[in-house]
Amino acid sequence: MILLLNLEKLFTPLLNQAYISLFFTALLILFFILKKYQYSLRSLLPFKYVEKSITEDLLKQLYHITSSQKTTDFRMLSGALKIPERKILKVVESMTQNGLIHISEGHVTLTKTGKNYALSIIRIHRLWEKYLSEKTGFDKSLWHDLAEAKEHQLSKEETEALYEELGRPRFDPHGDPIPTALGEMISETGTSIVGIPKGTVTKIIHIEDEPKSIYRQIIKEKLHIGAHVKILNADNHHIIFESEGHSIQLSTVVASNIQVVLLNSQETYEEGNVRLSSLIEGEHATILGISSECRGANRRRLLDLGFIKGTFLNLEYMGPNQNPRAYRLRNTLIALRNDQADFILIKKTQYDRTGSL
Amino acid sequence: MKNKDIQDLLDLASELRWEIGENFHDTLVEGIYTDAAQIAQKTEIKIGEPNPYSFERKLDQVLTSKKYGFPVMILILSIILWLTIQGANYPSSLLASFFLEFLYPMLKTGASQIGLPWWLDGFLIDGVYLALGWVISVMLPPMAIFFPMFTLLEDFGYLPRVAFNLDSLFKKSGAHGKQALTMSMGWGCNAAGVVATRIIDSPRERLIAIITNNFSLCNGRWPTQILIATIFIGALVPDNFSSILASLAVIGIALLGIGFTFLSSWMLSKTLLKGEVSTFALELPPFRPPNLWTTLYTSLIDRTLIVLWRAIVFAAPAGAIIWLISNIYVDDLSLANITIDWMDGFGLFFGLNGVILLAYVVAIPANEIVIPTILMLTVAHLNLMGAGNGVMFELESTTETAALLHAGGWTLLTGINLMLFSLLHNPCSTTIYTIYQETKSWKWTVFASIMPVILGFLVIFLVTQMWQLFQ
Repeated sequence: MILLLNLEKLFTPLLNQAYISLFFTALLILFFILKKYQYSLRSLLPFKYVEKSITEDLLKQLYHITSSQKTTDFRMLSGALKIPERKILKVVESMTQNGLIHISEGHVTLTKTGKNYALSIIRIHRLWEKYLSEKTGFDKSLWHDLAEAKEHQLSKEETEALYEELGRPRFDPHGDPIPTALGEMISETGTSIVGIPKGTVTKIIHIEDEPKSIYRQIIKEKLHIGAHVKILNADNHHIIFESEGHSIQLSTVVASNIQVVLLNSQETYEEGNVRLSSLIEGEHATILGISSECRGANRRRLLDLGFIKGTFLNLEYMGPNQNPRAYRLRNTLIALRNDQADFILIKKTQYDRTGSL
Repeated sequence: MKNKDIQDLLDLASELRWEIGENFHDTLVEGIYTDAAQIAQKTEIKIGEPNPYSFERKLDQVLTSKKYGFPVMILILSIILWLTIQGANYPSSLLASFFLEFLYPMLKTGASQIGLPWWLDGFLIDGVYLALGWVISVMLPPMAIFFPMFTLLEDFGYLPRVAFNLDSLFKKSGAHGKQALTMSMGWGCNAAGVVATRIIDSPRERLIAIITNNFSLCNGRWPTQILIATIFIGALVPDNFSSILASLAVIGIALLGIGFTFLSSWMLSKTLLKGEVSTFALELPPFRPPNLWTTLYTSLIDRTLIVLWRAIVFAAPAGAIIWLISNIYVDDLSLANITIDWMDGFGLFFGLNGVILLAYVVAIPANEIVIPTILMLTVAHLNLMGAGNGVMFELESTTETAALLHAGGWTLLTGINLMLFSLLHNPCSTTIYTIYQETKSWKWTVFASIMPVILGFLVIFLVTQMWQLFQ
């Protein structure tokens, strides 16, 4: 009896703590599962709540397939959307009744109404990505997923208000055209960077944000729309090119998601243009511009501080951890973090009073 | 016909907008900026070249160097804190003796002479007046020393260099380097620290700085920390070392606060504040001799007096409530004693007690009155003969205070937990009001008030559990 009591005394606090920690671990695990599968889990919801978004996703998918001149059937659609075939069939049935799609010989095509509906969804998606890029601080790898959820929620009036607020944009941050309210849109003009002969100078106009793993690899190299790219070497597996003073090697699969155009007559490729972050102590440089990747409030702030084309500057000193660094321009010392300095393109120069602004 | 022309024109415009691409707004704006800069350059006359070897540049290089940057910074901040804590003692006791020993008895006599009923006299003089007296005498001197010194450093141009040095640390937790300044301002007063976040122009980083400012141990909490550390921690070792150990414990709590600032900044920027806009730019103004009189004036008027006034406005009703709960009886027990008994179980579970919890509830308006309230409530709860119900007081010597607290059932664990809870609890009502003024958002105000309390209970719960496990 005494032994039993002692054991109890010894183990009760331990047991309590084990329960508490178990409870917290279980909560944490549940939280992470919910977070990870938040998009796939929606198929568990009752059908009537998800019908609208499945319809809209289907229309978008059909639109992309039709514009690349391909045909499709149910199996391909259900595979692409990761939704069971049974549900797709149910949705397709009501879509046919509403005159959104047309089925002949097992192939699915969009009707005129269906196409306009699809374009309006694409419009919301791209406008929302534009909004996220200009007005919020979400990382660009998150834009697509957030827009994917938002495109089913915005009403027509809200969309138009957003369009006005953003200054009536025509392109989303990935370089894709945003359809107008009337459903007008230009077809994409760029060509894939793969297959461009070496030595050619081109400009990036589009970076595809799907699939995500490939998009992550591209943004890790700090490639962005508007960057000038010079092809150095290309074979069947890899492509090597130079951009903003960095030499980058990508596999053909990854690179095929980057679309480029040749420079127009007003643009010139500046040999030796580099990022401000590569400037070292005592060096002088002239600013060539701010990359289009730097948007919204960040961009305006840099412009306000005087980081304008033609401005002369030098690196005054680096902090204890070499980040941020202090630059002197127009007789003012301004500290920038290195990831900001990456956005500013410069050309290194000799110190020259007459060239300074 | 005319309508058709207009339509054609609109169509053409729309088509051209596809062709000119997305960057044309920027190109236009940058063109205007560039033209403006060139025009300005033509008319500008420059006299003399900036000398690259000037004293100012040398100083800048030393203050931001890898070798001297951090040591100089720590040295200057420690000197300011030391001067504040030491220097405030004398004027504080002077003010206290004026308000509490000279004016208080006079008021009491005056009140009895004009025949004020006991309850009105107690409510106004023992409640409201005493709370005001405590707040002013404990709060005014440190603020009047800390803020002018801080403003002098700011005027001289040193503070932006501190932000510059520390930015890489703050960047890791998703915050702005200037948060270093609002954090150190918070050591003076959290309300002033929250106002100071106006220097951060990035919305996300500003919210982080506002929410985490409470983790800077403010002037109102330093005395509590020092007293409790002396009584409970310093007593662990022989007398020769006790003051050293006690100071180390207080410094440890302040450092823990910095740790929580970084930790909660990091968690906030990863979760709730993920989508807020974030920008960074830090201007490093040239060094210049500070203007002493302007500095004194602005720091005394803008910072000290405004904060003091807000504290007074909030402390007066607190004093009234403290007096009322001690003097309203239900079934032979005062409201205070009923509440203490009711809270005791909950308090002991977290390693505190009912008295401390009640003191923290009624002393929300000002951290300065926590210790006097705790002493008053302990005396009332133990039914000892004290200064009287609802009259806040402080004892002459630390030994007497220690004896009283031990009689109240305090242990080393209670002391440690009180120190932790004093660091990690809701901001005072002055700060809460300031947070609302600055953010204009109830959501963030409530969050900034509740989050530290939850964190505090979590931490002292873990400490108590650990303690019981190893006992």
